[in-house]
Amino acid sequence: MSKILIVDDEPHLRLLYETEFRRAGYETMSAGSAAQGLEIIQSMKPALVVLDIRMAGMDGIEALQHILDRDSSVAVVLNTAYSSYKDNYMTWAADAYVTKSSDVTELLDTVREVLEKRLAAK
Amino acid sequence: MDHELYLRRRADLVAGGFDRTARPVLLIDPDSRVAAASDGTGELLGCAAVDLVGRPVDELLRPRELFTSAGRESACTGQPVPVEVRHESGDWIAVEARCDAFDGLPATDDSDEPAEHLLLALFDVSQREHEDELRAVRMAKLSLLNQVSEALYGANLTLDQVLQAVLICITSGEGLRFNRAFMLLVDEQQETLRGELAIGPSNAEEASRIWEDLADGPADLFELMTTHDRSAANADVAVNEIVRNISVPLADADNLLVRSMHERHTLRVSRDLKVAGVEAVAGWLGCDEFAVAPLTTRRGPLGVVLADNAISRTPISALDLEFLQMFANQSASAIENSRLYHELERRLIDLRRAHQKQRENQQTLLRMERLSVMGETSAVVAHELRNPLVSIGGFARTLQRALDEADPNREYARIITEEVSRMETIVNDMLDFVRPQKQLRRMMVIDRLVAETVGRHLARLEEDGIELHYELGCGDLEVSCHPGEIQQVIENFLVNARQVLGPGGMIIVGTRPLAGGVRVVVGDDGPGFAADLADRMFAPFFSTKPTGSGLGLTICDQIIKAHGGVREARNRPVGGAEFAFILPFPRPGETDGS
Repeated sequence: MSKILIVDDEPHLRLLYETEFRRAGYETMSAGSAAQGLEIIQSMKPALVVLDIRMAGMDGIEALQHILDRDSSVAVVLNTAYSSYKDNYMTWAADAYVTKSSDVTELLDTVREVLEKRLAAK
Repeated sequence: MDHELYLRRRADLVAGGFDRTARPVLLIDPDSRVAAASDGTGELLGCAAVDLVGRPVDELLRPRELFTSAGRESACTGQPVPVEVRHESGDWIAVEARCDAFDGLPATDDSDEPAEHLLLALFDVSQREHEDELRAVRMAKLSLLNQVSEALYGANLTLDQVLQAVLICITSGEGLRFNRAFMLLVDEQQETLRGELAIGPSNAEEASRIWEDLADGPADLFELMTTHDRSAANADVAVNEIVRNISVPLADADNLLVRSMHERHTLRVSRDLKVAGVEAVAGWLGCDEFAVAPLTTRRGPLGVVLADNAISRTPISALDLEFLQMFANQSASAIENSRLYHELERRLIDLRRAHQKQRENQQTLLRMERLSVMGETSAVVAHELRNPLVSIGGFARTLQRALDEADPNREYARIITEEVSRMETIVNDMLDFVRPQKQLRRMMVIDRLVAETVGRHLARLEEDGIELHYELGCGDLEVSCHPGEIQQVIENFLVNARQVLGPGGMIIVGTRPLAGGVRVVVGDDGPGFAADLADRMFAPFFSTKPTGSGLGLTICDQIIKAHGGVREARNRPVGGAEFAFILPFPRPGETDGS
């Protein structure tokens, strides 16, 4: 099953997403900052990154640029509390954009779809 | 006394106004014949004064004892004595006479000897009663004029109401009793004296009807002034048609009306008066006699009032004229006053409006500031709540799924999930509410926008030794766009062109109007690009350069699409690349969609 990296500076949310993705059958890892996330991407080569945008230090948009610069084979799903980032041109570069919700169904569905698309493209 | 002296005496007497005086005065010679008679005597007796000269006095006066030597002495007491005079019609009129001996004249024209004459000053008793009456009338009218002018000053009347009130006062039975009155005012722009307003019936029949109506109506003049509804009285239509046709150039200084105004003369004018403009006015009014009164204030002439008795044909008396003059003076002040007052009022209203507007703006600003502070606060609160809510709700869901269906805790977990969802909705709404408004589209002159954008890069292009050509052909044409976004596109094209060009390169920036929009193009004389890249260049992360995000053209593409426009990239036939976009003109009714 695909490896998924969760990057979020909220420990409880990381736990929640990891729990849900594992239950859904994914192999999960998590990072509490963008910088840590970039390291893990290089070392662990996840298939997909669930990336929070607003984080202390490097934010998700900057991290997205780095990810795409280094290895555009990694799928990125932006997961944020703000719907307004949808209007930021930079976020178009991500595979998908999901607004955070306590109902993780949308996030799970989106991740599945993105992975299927990537797989089909290969 | 020599003849010359006699003549001189006589001339003095005449020069002193003896002949011309309106008072009845008679000079009787020693032979008891009339030596001289004033105009007033003629008037009293109903004949020309000169016809009286030489007539025996006992034909004209009684008792004849008065003219005997003894009678004369007893009469000359300085006190009036009752006598009778014979009117031309044969009637005897009772008058009073004051007799004085007058010996300054010779008995006859040939004689040098002074002889004793008798000077009789006659007082018409009935005339005196008449004068008392006149005095009473004058008093009443003066009091009325005073009332009217106070009313005109005190009441907050419009200029039109003042003009109307003045005319009503001139024509009403309680006022000056003219049949008709016309107001002419100076039109400073046209430099004419122009008819403004008139009151009066157009014929006798109508006159009697109106005057009857008025008699039934308000008795008080002031009430009349303020309640008389001009629009309801068609009677005034005819005179107002007359007045609107009256126009005299102010430059026509000899004209009767202009002169009356400038020289401040109130005149009674009959058609045969040989003054410029009399014929014309008589013609306009259709009346042979009329009165002109100037309306002037200390600040200058305002106009004139014309009044006539075209219906009743009553002659205009000296008294009528006197009142008209007085009333015109007061009216002029009232008119001026009303004008100034309303001018002041208008300015005050403007000021008040400006003040009100300013206060409203201030309040709007304050409210916006408050709202903005509230908005920021709630955005922070909402965002801070969001993440905890996601984890509370998320774990509650996890719990709910993990628990056995029979377990009552499963229901509790479900309740938590549900309530969290509700809170999330509230938080989302709050965040959506405070989200800054997107920049709106505006109508922009496209050539100006392009030139401004290119202007920012001039220095750098020069540094690089790149030549710039403008081919802007849209003039003042406007398109609806987000100026910032369109600038971003043009800048992107410019930067790309600059990067492929070396010194000596050339960039061409052009605009061209099309049927449905405008085309903006940035071309260069660089190497161009491989034909198969034309579309791929706009895909995300496409880049032929070692640096850069590869998003530049993608963003341009998105912006142009959002504007309903079309973009294109091609190689120019003469060599080099060309990037262009077309912005459509707004459809009718669509100017600022975002």
